[in-house]
Amino acid sequence: MISRTLSTVVAMTVGLLILADFFVASASIDALGLYLIRTASVVAAFALVLGMVNVLTVHLNKIYSRNTGWGYSMVLLGALFFTLGVGFLTGGPASTQMQELFETVLFPLEATLFSLLAFFVVTAAYRAFRVKSFETGLFVIFGIIVLLGQVPVGAMLWDQLPVIKDWVLDVPALSGARGILLGVALGTVATGLRVLLGLDRPYVD
Amino acid sequence: MVNQTQLALLLFLITFLPVFYLSGRRVQMGKLPDLRPILAFNVLKGVTARAIETGRAVHISLGLGGITSDVTADSLVGLSVLEYLSEQSAAAGVPPIITMADPTLLPLAQDAIRRPYGADLEEATRAARHVRWIAPEPAAYAAGVMDTLGAEALDANVMVGAYGDEYLLMGEAANRREITHIGAASDPNVAPFVFATADQMLMGEDMYAAGAYLAGKPWHIGSLLAQDFMRWSIVIVIVVLVAINTLL
Repeated sequence: MISRTLSTVVAMTVGLLILADFFVASASIDALGLYLIRTASVVAAFALVLGMVNVLTVHLNKIYSRNTGWGYSMVLLGALFFTLGVGFLTGGPASTQMQELFETVLFPLEATLFSLLAFFVVTAAYRAFRVKSFETGLFVIFGIIVLLGQVPVGAMLWDQLPVIKDWVLDVPALSGARGILLGVALGTVATGLRVLLGLDRPYVD
Repeated sequence: MVNQTQLALLLFLITFLPVFYLSGRRVQMGKLPDLRPILAFNVLKGVTARAIETGRAVHISLGLGGITSDVTADSLVGLSVLEYLSEQSAAAGVPPIITMADPTLLPLAQDAIRRPYGADLEEATRAARHVRWIAPEPAAYAAGVMDTLGAEALDANVMVGAYGDEYLLMGEAANRREITHIGAASDPNVAPFVFATADQMLMGEDMYAAGAYLAGKPWHIGSLLAQDFMRWSIVIVIVVLVAINTLL
């Protein structure tokens, strides 16, 4: 009970101080706000250690129980310890060896995975372009207009297509996106206020 | 000296706070408003029942956000969905599998999945093993989730949190499994990917209504009323300003 009250009081006080720091131009509140944000960053960095323990637990369990894909878990743990070892021996993530490791292994792997997006977009578009309702009908019509308006052949078919495409993107699409963002902003403020006022306490066990 | 942005935000907060408080109190006193039906929440409510029937787990992805980023609100929504599904699944002994990219969510997710078990520490610890931190990089996280979706015996995939383009990789993997897929996105750029891959989607502010629709929490329902009031106020202000600027 005491820990619940204490954590709520700490969360509310810190939250209100950071909010005050945004609105009030005072050197002492600025310094306090900066200190609290830096403290939060340090605490958040410790979460990485928790994450590593979690990765170890999950994959060691997988290897121990010989679950499907346990071999991949061995590769993952091997890569984890190898990278950790290189980092410790060469002086951290800024070292040449670590940079080389990132540039020759991690970045190409990420680029390869993201290049798959092109194919995934095609299959997703194929599924989305099936007219099942009035809304999907509109989606298909505007999708075709924008697709044709983007490529030179569209202008060759009808010179007004790029103009219509620009109108679709600048007026209905942009106003729709702004409407979504307005709702998101209101939702974010409401969520933040609930946490700030202690009405929502995700940090309490 | 307060600048224009600060002044606008201060004005917004000063207006929002009393509306928020009065709406919350109104709901607390039992004056419940009629919430418009959102199909995705109805499907979410049935997800655990189906998982219990089939004996397969539900995968919940909390996305790329954490609690120290600018998308914290999205992550908190993911956590409230997780809380709801954890409470439902605890009784049946089929805990959900939870993945996240930001390790700051790890202890919160573990708490949420442990909480319904109360004093039963053994079961709580067993359930907490289903929480997995994958990787902080978007591509690596997507690869890890795609592996989870492909290898685990799953009945549904629930993705609520902050995402980028990598959503499509995970959404398509869920589609190939032909399992129930519920997605949520607050970023308009990700919404088309959710629309194209999910059976049910929560777009924009709909996802922030999770606590109100799923758990029926009074302050969550109250904040929905306050959001509605503020939205209409902003719309009226925009229309009035446009009219004044056009006429004068």
